[in-house]
Amino acid sequence: MSDEVLQLSVDKFLFRFPVGLYYSEAGIWVRFEGNRARIGLSDFTQQRNGDVAFAEPKEVGTSVVLGEEVAVVETIKVNLSIPSPVAGQVVEVNGDLLNSPELVNQDPYGKGWLGVLEVGDVEAARGALKTAADHIGLAKVQAEAEILR
Amino acid sequence: MSGTKRKISVVPCSGIGKSLGAAAREAAFILAEDLRPDKTKIVPLSLLVMGDEQAKREVAGGEAVAIDGCKLECAAKGLACSGAARVHKIAVFDVIRRHRGLKPEGVCDLNEDGLKLARATADEAAKIVDGVNAEGGHA
Amino acid sequence: MPDLPRKKVGLISCSGEELPEGTVTRRAVRKVLETLRPDDTVTLCLPLFLAGGEGERSFARYYPTIAVDGCDKRCAARATEKYSARPVASIVVSDAAEAANGQEIGTARHLNEAGMRLADSVAGLIAEETDRLLKKPGRKTPVSSANVVGCSCNSSLPSGTVRIKGRATRVSGLPLIFAQLREQGLGLDEKTGTVLLEAVKIYSEVPDNRVQDWTEALVKEYAQFLKEKN
Repeated sequence: MSDEVLQLSVDKFLFRFPVGLYYSEAGIWVRFEGNRARIGLSDFTQQRNGDVAFAEPKEVGTSVVLGEEVAVVETIKVNLSIPSPVAGQVVEVNGDLLNSPELVNQDPYGKGWLGVLEVGDVEAARGALKTAADHIGLAKVQAEAEILR
Repeated sequence: MSGTKRKISVVPCSGIGKSLGAAAREAAFILAEDLRPDKTKIVPLSLLVMGDEQAKREVAGGEAVAIDGCKLECAAKGLACSGAARVHKIAVFDVIRRHRGLKPEGVCDLNEDGLKLARATADEAAKIVDGVNAEGGHA
Repeated sequence: MPDLPRKKVGLISCSGEELPEGTVTRRAVRKVLETLRPDDTVTLCLPLFLAGGEGERSFARYYPTIAVDGCDKRCAARATEKYSARPVASIVVSDAAEAANGQEIGTARHLNEAGMRLADSVAGLIAEETDRLLKKPGRKTPVSSANVVGCSCNSSLPSGTVRIKGRATRVSGLPLIFAQLREQGLGLDEKTGTVLLEAVKIYSEVPDNRVQDWTEALVKEYAQFLKEKN
């Protein structure tokens, strides 16, 4: 996977988007690992919503369709229902987040992953997502709208 | 052995960017002015780190409580190099996890949730102070 | 397309638990950030600055910074100079307080009405200084009130290096400047040096007597950048 990272600078903020990942419109990243998809909050999503106090993925064994809630993330600002960026079954959750939810903020693309889902049709799943280059335009619009609000 | 017992230094992070820093600051005031005024004294972090002699004397060799807003732990880091005999750490970020549902807002003027959070943090810090005193070390 | 952040002024205030003037600084800085000049300012978090926050420290290198202190111990100003760069302006509230006839302004925890007025007055001074630094005509009324404000905890302006007369020199925003100008179609012609220099000068001080050296170095570096991209 490429180590390249695209950067988006809006106003005084800098957001990073690793090129090797895919992104949903809701700002959830996906790393495909064979027929599995590891997911987490993008750098923009975590910065936008603030310090994570609780990160609670659905338990292992839960099946979700595309867009169905796959985790709840509570920050000091808001409570987020995280829509699944893929259809599949939860096979692994990040247990470190129980005691260290700040990992989502500190290392959103690394130690701050939320969960892993087993995906039936990887190609279809990939097709419903955007690359970093395609996603960054949407993130820019969202970031600018946020600042003007 | 000693006449006047020494107060425990309280060092808040007082971060200006987030409400957590404001809550840490308010918690320090609650602790040092309301809950344990005879046993604690606020020492400004910036004075300590910038080498103010009086601040250094307050802290050196004594017990200290770092009240941080978030997990960046700026106050604890500042105290680590200050010569304090022991640094007890408390972070508002951890306290909020024990008081689920609070949504602090504001930096200069905390909202009601922020004030509740500051109070909860101060209460926990007061227990730390009481624990230190029970060991017989301080005021 | 990469976007360059606008030039902004960084505001760094002391933590201020010892004196009410310290609380005045916090309130004044937040007022400028939230109400008076939300589009032109960023606040730097002094505790994070002191603890080694690279985002804060590099920010103060790239952006002009105003230090606002409660007393003449000047923790914010001294910290900025020690760990980053000398602040372009330093305001000490206790000086302003003397000018306010030595009125009681409350406590470090709670300012009274006089303290609140002093905070407003200091905020006005900061706003004026911000305008001066950004070379904007003075504005008497607040510009806007943005809901989203932030500190620079997660921001930084990437820099690049050019060799100017053999000496490696860091230039703020260089990678973004190059990328943006390339996307706009800037090639290598007689205008290149002028365009590059004008862009760089938004974020970096270029001494008048070094303009030619800088221009030559930038053109050379840009040529190399284009070669690598093509």
